[in-house]
Amino acid sequence: MTMVRIPTVCPYCGAGCGFFVEVEKGRAAGIAYMPGHPVSEGSLCSKGNAALEVLCHQERLKSPLKRKGEGWAEISWDEAAEMVARGMGGTIKKDGPGKVALLASSKCTNEENYLIEKLARLLGTPHIDNCARLCHAPSVVGLNRTLGAAGMTNPIPDIADSQCIFIIGSNLAENHPVISRWIHRARDRGAVVIVADPRETHTSWMADQFLQLAPGTDVALLNGMAQVIIEEGLIDEDYIAERTRGFEELSASLKGLSIERTAEITGVPKEDIVRAARYYASSPASTILYSMGITQHTTGTDNVQAVSNLALICGQIGRPGTGVMPLRGQNNVQGACDMGALAEFYPGYRRADDPGTIEFFTSAWGAAALPAGPGLTATEMIGAAASGGIKAMYIVGEDPANSEPSSLSVKRALESLDFLVVQDIFMTATAQLADVVLPGAVWAEKEGSFTNTERRVQWSSKAVDPPGCALSDLEIVCIVGRSLGLDFSYPDAASVLAEINRTVPQYAGITRERLGEGGLVWPCPSPDHPGTPILHTTGFRLPDGRAQIVPVPYRPAAEGPGGDYPLVLTTGRVAVHHNAGSMTRRSASLISREPELFVEINTADAQRLRIADGDMVIVTTARGEAQASARLTERVKRGVVFMPFHFPGTNILTTEAADPEARIPEFKVSACKITRRG
Amino acid sequence: MAVYVDINRCIGCRSCEVACQRVHGGSGHVRVSFVEGLASVPIFCHHCEEAFCAAACFSGALHKEGDRTAFDVDKCTGCGLCALACPFGVVWTEKIAHKCDLCWGRTEPACVATCPANALSTDGEPPSRRSHVRAGRAGASGCLR
Amino acid sequence: MIKVDPNLCIGCRSCSNVCPSQKILRSDSEGIRRILWNRCREECDLCVEFCPAKALTLVPFDELVPEPQLSFNLVSCRICGSRYAPEPMLSRIEAAVPPDSQRDPEGREWIRVCPACRRRAEAQRAAREGVSGRRGEALRRGK
Repeated sequence: MTMVRIPTVCPYCGAGCGFFVEVEKGRAAGIAYMPGHPVSEGSLCSKGNAALEVLCHQERLKSPLKRKGEGWAEISWDEAAEMVARGMGGTIKKDGPGKVALLASSKCTNEENYLIEKLARLLGTPHIDNCARLCHAPSVVGLNRTLGAAGMTNPIPDIADSQCIFIIGSNLAENHPVISRWIHRARDRGAVVIVADPRETHTSWMADQFLQLAPGTDVALLNGMAQVIIEEGLIDEDYIAERTRGFEELSASLKGLSIERTAEITGVPKEDIVRAARYYASSPASTILYSMGITQHTTGTDNVQAVSNLALICGQIGRPGTGVMPLRGQNNVQGACDMGALAEFYPGYRRADDPGTIEFFTSAWGAAALPAGPGLTATEMIGAAASGGIKAMYIVGEDPANSEPSSLSVKRALESLDFLVVQDIFMTATAQLADVVLPGAVWAEKEGSFTNTERRVQWSSKAVDPPGCALSDLEIVCIVGRSLGLDFSYPDAASVLAEINRTVPQYAGITRERLGEGGLVWPCPSPDHPGTPILHTTGFRLPDGRAQIVPVPYRPAAEGPGGDYPLVLTTGRVAVHHNAGSMTRRSASLISREPELFVEINTADAQRLRIADGDMVIVTTARGEAQASARLTERVKRGVVFMPFHFPGTNILTTEAADPEARIPEFKVSACKITRRG
Repeated sequence: MAVYVDINRCIGCRSCEVACQRVHGGSGHVRVSFVEGLASVPIFCHHCEEAFCAAACFSGALHKEGDRTAFDVDKCTGCGLCALACPFGVVWTEKIAHKCDLCWGRTEPACVATCPANALSTDGEPPSRRSHVRAGRAGASGCLR
Repeated sequence: MIKVDPNLCIGCRSCSNVCPSQKILRSDSEGIRRILWNRCREECDLCVEFCPAKALTLVPFDELVPEPQLSFNLVSCRICGSRYAPEPMLSRIEAAVPPDSQRDPEGREWIRVCPACRRRAEAQRAAREGVSGRRGEALRRGK
């Protein structure tokens, strides 16, 4: 039997690189690179290279399970469906659908996420969300408000055409490595790279200018830069007059802001702020790349709006080499949001509190009635589980026990539910708390479309069958739907995509037949539309076609250092791991390279605490404590420490304080103390 | 011939390490070394003109084949002399020796194909104007100078 | 059974790797490598044939002759101090490498440095020389 190569989309990050899974005798035998891919050009990072270690892992869930004593018993799909009907259906009957909450998966396909949110709403609950809440919810809210669309405005290869690349709050060299090749090409052509981060990262290595700002001071920096640009007359007056509204309010709000004050708040020398502002404003094409360092704050929405402001007043949007570029983390978090698996949006970003939305979907879905939103967010669902506001949950491909802040409270909250069903590929910490566990499929074991951070929709094909009795998540959601009395029968992913074509305007022209190499970039409103790589070229989907500039005052982070907790803890990622680590910590070639939880401490701070490199230390916040291995470094300034959140423990420490609008927790700033263990 | 790295493009993602390990097993043939938190340098076999690993190899398992330092696994006993003879520390011995063979039999070395930052090449012509540095120099007279 | 010439054995891993019945035991612990040649009757001569130093010969099996064993101090790396190789192996490398290639650009006898430190030193050299811009200046300043 010969070997076949099946084209798939990488299951890890939002770059959406393609690679082939080599299949021999029905088993995944290897990986082949895909030189024709528009973003990766055949390259693949360490996580992608290790992807088969997840697919073939011996701990993969192979059968539905129910609790039995201290352990688990394997059950049939029929019994599992029956238990879900009794558990979730029972709660709906007894307490009403508003007591049930669903979490969709940013690792599942568009089709699967569409069905999960449809399931929620047909059951009558408005409580559906996905992990974007923990990462780019501020982008969804802030960019929809300022630019009329929540997505990266330009494609990744377009970065090579930029002359000034401003990277703020993103460690893309480790989290979206493939973007680096395009930045290098821009540098070859003379582009200037400015990186703003509290920590010297692999990304800051690419910087011509490195602005090492204090955690939580991004609005101050961005406002400071905007003020310099306005004062020095470097704004694009024509663009402001023709394409924006709100400039006068912004200008008024920044009057009186002195560069000295900005330098004082941020810790960045004023000459550097001025120079960065000048570079950004006066280059013929400037782009801003940002990620969690901007969004994971109580001021996340403000931060995003400040980024938009900067781009708008300089006219750096809507042309090649320009843009506002939120770097989405998961392979399909963009898609999960587009499909409306969000507390405040139905599919296509139709607002859940708009009667027009309810009317449209009641008709499109043939429903008797649909719930208006906004529902509870992912974080709020956990809080409601603790207080009894939510009694049953259906969690798909998500590990809140490790990814939400304040892990100890999360576990208690989930344990207090009447009924919890978890669908996943491994027995994660969250699955451990479930009443019923349903075994799902990884990317190569199912087919469907995924939307990367560029709004590029790509089709990933099925290479092998899932192990044991595991099923594709699409099949499982249909089983769950039918067990709860809904008419959920879709023969395949393409049939769901056809429905998505009818209900999500941005995807109207993205049909199965058209999804070949390179995919299609939404908005794609009709079957003959080529897709829209660059957004906002002729205006914005807002009243008058004008973007909205929003003044944002600087507010410090919710929990500053002081008293018992004199240090600032900030969190982030490393190259060989991914998010909560359920996949990468089980991959031998990745865990061997970064085996344990560590904390980076400034050398001088460590010496004062009598901590040597390699010592085991205890990091404590108001939420709890975690042990980590100390790494002494100059990468963080005095007073700041860094921990990766791929290992259980980091999120025991993080704060639950959240952005009031986007409701994202402030993962990036907590107050902590560190002591040597023993 | 060897694998060349444009040090200004390396982002320390270790994809080359993982790809090499995936293709060759064991722990692969590349090691990325980090320098003062400011740079990362993947260290590859230089396929030295005058290969000390081959000079030390008593069985002829390691030998020159044109530009390449080739490895004939059938002749290897895992004695460990080659690992001590390499000035750059890129030969390993577990039961047998492990050394880069430039992915003989593949269209191009896996590390070069996989590098997300496009920092690696086999022709010494990196896709940039900037000067690049081979992570070491091959050749007897230039070997360590 | 095996007879070992202690003046010729270099303490490498060949014979212990090739013995088909695992009669030759080698262990590294606390900075010392110990090799023990257990009695065998196999009378294959793989260990003899594959000894780089031609230190082994086969002699008739004799219960009364003690089983040979040797210990070697593992030499300390000049940079990190880790114990990484038996002295006779390093001497043999020194004999095989041209004398004018035995010092690295910092003047160190690199054969007396462990492989991990050799990689680190090469990386530092390459980074200091090749990295440009803001980082390059910092690296060259730091030296």
